[in-house]
Amino acid sequence: MSQFDLVANLQLLVSGLAIGSIYALVALGFVLIYNAVGVVNFAQGEFVMFPSYIAATFLLPAVTVFGTVVHWQLPVIAVYLLVIVLMVGFGLLFNRIAYYPLRDRGWLPVVISTIGVSIFLRNAAQLTWGSEPLVIPGLFNMDTFAIGPLHVRPQDLVIIVVTALLIAFQYLLFERTTLGKQMRATAQDRATARLIGVRVGRIVAITFVYSALLGTISGLLVAPLFTVTKEMGALIALKAFAASIVGGFGSIPGAIIGGLAIGVIETFGGFYISSAYTDAIAFVILIAVLLIKPSGLFGERVAEKA
Amino acid sequence: MKLDRKNFLAATGAAATTAVVGFPAIVGAAAEPIRLGTVPCLTGSNALLGQQEHEGIALAVEEINARAGKVFDGRPFEVVEEDATNDNQSAVAALNKLLGENVVAVVCPVLSTQIQAMAPVMKTHEIPWMTGGTAVKNMQLGVPGAFRLRASDAITAAGMTNFAVKDKKAKKVAILHASDAFGTGGADQVVLDLQKLGMTPVANEQYPKDAKDYTAEILKIKQSGADAMLLYIQNPSDTTIILKQIRSLGLTIPLVGSPSLTNQTVMETAGKDANGAYGAVDFIVGFNSNVATHFLTAFYNKYHHLPDVGTGSGWVYDAVYMLADIYKKQKSTDPKQTIASLHTVKNWEGVLGTFTADSEGNMVHSVSIGQIEDGKLHLVKKVSG
Repeated sequence: MSQFDLVANLQLLVSGLAIGSIYALVALGFVLIYNAVGVVNFAQGEFVMFPSYIAATFLLPAVTVFGTVVHWQLPVIAVYLLVIVLMVGFGLLFNRIAYYPLRDRGWLPVVISTIGVSIFLRNAAQLTWGSEPLVIPGLFNMDTFAIGPLHVRPQDLVIIVVTALLIAFQYLLFERTTLGKQMRATAQDRATARLIGVRVGRIVAITFVYSALLGTISGLLVAPLFTVTKEMGALIALKAFAASIVGGFGSIPGAIIGGLAIGVIETFGGFYISSAYTDAIAFVILIAVLLIKPSGLFGERVAEKA
Repeated sequence: MKLDRKNFLAATGAAATTAVVGFPAIVGAAAEPIRLGTVPCLTGSNALLGQQEHEGIALAVEEINARAGKVFDGRPFEVVEEDATNDNQSAVAALNKLLGENVVAVVCPVLSTQIQAMAPVMKTHEIPWMTGGTAVKNMQLGVPGAFRLRASDAITAAGMTNFAVKDKKAKKVAILHASDAFGTGGADQVVLDLQKLGMTPVANEQYPKDAKDYTAEILKIKQSGADAMLLYIQNPSDTTIILKQIRSLGLTIPLVGSPSLTNQTVMETAGKDANGAYGAVDFIVGFNSNVATHFLTAFYNKYHHLPDVGTGSGWVYDAVYMLADIYKKQKSTDPKQTIASLHTVKNWEGVLGTFTADSEGNMVHSVSIGQIEDGKLHLVKKVSG
């Protein structure tokens, strides 16, 4: 292998891991909500898009909001904190409006409700911020740097590192804290969890908030690379959904590995097979995994979830 | 008739009734609005293009309706708008709905893929179809009343290719394009133009709709050893991300893009990543007629931002004015007569330049090559088809 090939492969690996990390974070959001309440949240992509718009509104020197140009440029840290606070509220509200009133009606009304919220949020974003894509700065105001012939975007590294830290945090949360154990208990068996004194309603609300925060972090991480548009979350969510199925729906390590795998494989596939089939590659993997191991790579047996 | 009191009252009453009921009825008939259909992509990932189209049409209609006599005989334009959204099925559904609204002409969405999808329905209605999609095929679909108010990709692609090969002395040309009808059609055209110069592209990469990471495509082009890259991409957000990724992957070869590369939004959002890029352009600020200067000023005054002239608001503004001029001249909105008149358009002055209809319905026959520098576009050369 020539030296250029090695560089190209490393370049693909960095990009693949970065985009895969985002799929993994969004996939985690899917899985956590699925485990807590047994439904797929189709508004997960909008959990990525909405905070990105809020961040853009407060980060950029001039943004058009409801047809009026506003100049609310605030320091980056203040904006990140503000977005996180707002998204905590958003998660609680989402739980209260889209899930809570329908919680005893079976899974279908809840799924449809999340689809409704997704459509509502996309259109609300268009009405609020218009159709112009917005570009927000990255965490480090720094251009690409070169390591030998390899060009690295600092934001790619930020994405990979932040995702790794979040996964570690989540491991500690679930394994070492009472809250985490309560979340796991709720996920495994809500009725029993309630019997042993877990306040299931509250834990579910916390799960929605946590899921919204995962979306928020994904949004803040990708927005500098992808531009903020109302559609930005939709495709990420579709791939993340595929990632969580590949990993085994409901499995946390599965969502992470699935996300990273899809990101890396589609990037390499785009290079070595054909870029026209990038999306197709992700979904061919999905179908292949489902055919070979219907419960996904790390999934429980289907019977347990039925 | 004997004019006694009873007859007098009856006659006066009849006259008064005619005055009250009949006269406004006559005025009403004269002022009957001219229903103009539009199908922009108002929602979905191409909503920006739809918004620009909506704004251009609204400005032209507002101006025409404000002038004395409006379009003609006091008849104003009335816009009937349906959302083509982001996919072809919805565009066709929106068009079918629009055609039930008694419109006399339709300004089509700018996306070639939607125009091609709508063509079977367009064929069944002989009314003027004002289009701005640039794919060569759009005007070869057998739609009787179809006209194109922007330069065809045959002209644009040849201009881009010749510029890269002859002016930038490129020996190895790579192509990056979207996988929709516009991107694929444009790339095919570039391949043909390269063949005329005895060349084949060293890489011809397409990316799927709504992709967000283009590392694989750009890296392949980098690895091909290309010394110039031609881009055929419609979506402004895609273009911005691609420009950023090209720069971040350290590719510094000349970039020559289709008109959407120099879209106002792209220049604003891509910032320094767009610096130095060339684009085939319908329009360059500073090299324009009085019509264009008026359009730019009026647009800014109404919307407080600069229009995207070529791909967005300019061509639809021209479309509405061209129809208004023809309706005024023929004092009729008869679709067949209007189509015949549109075929005879010659040296008509619009925002995008001078319009002359050819046998296919193409009205614009030249583009410019511009270069982006710090969010502004500079004229490099003019290209005629």
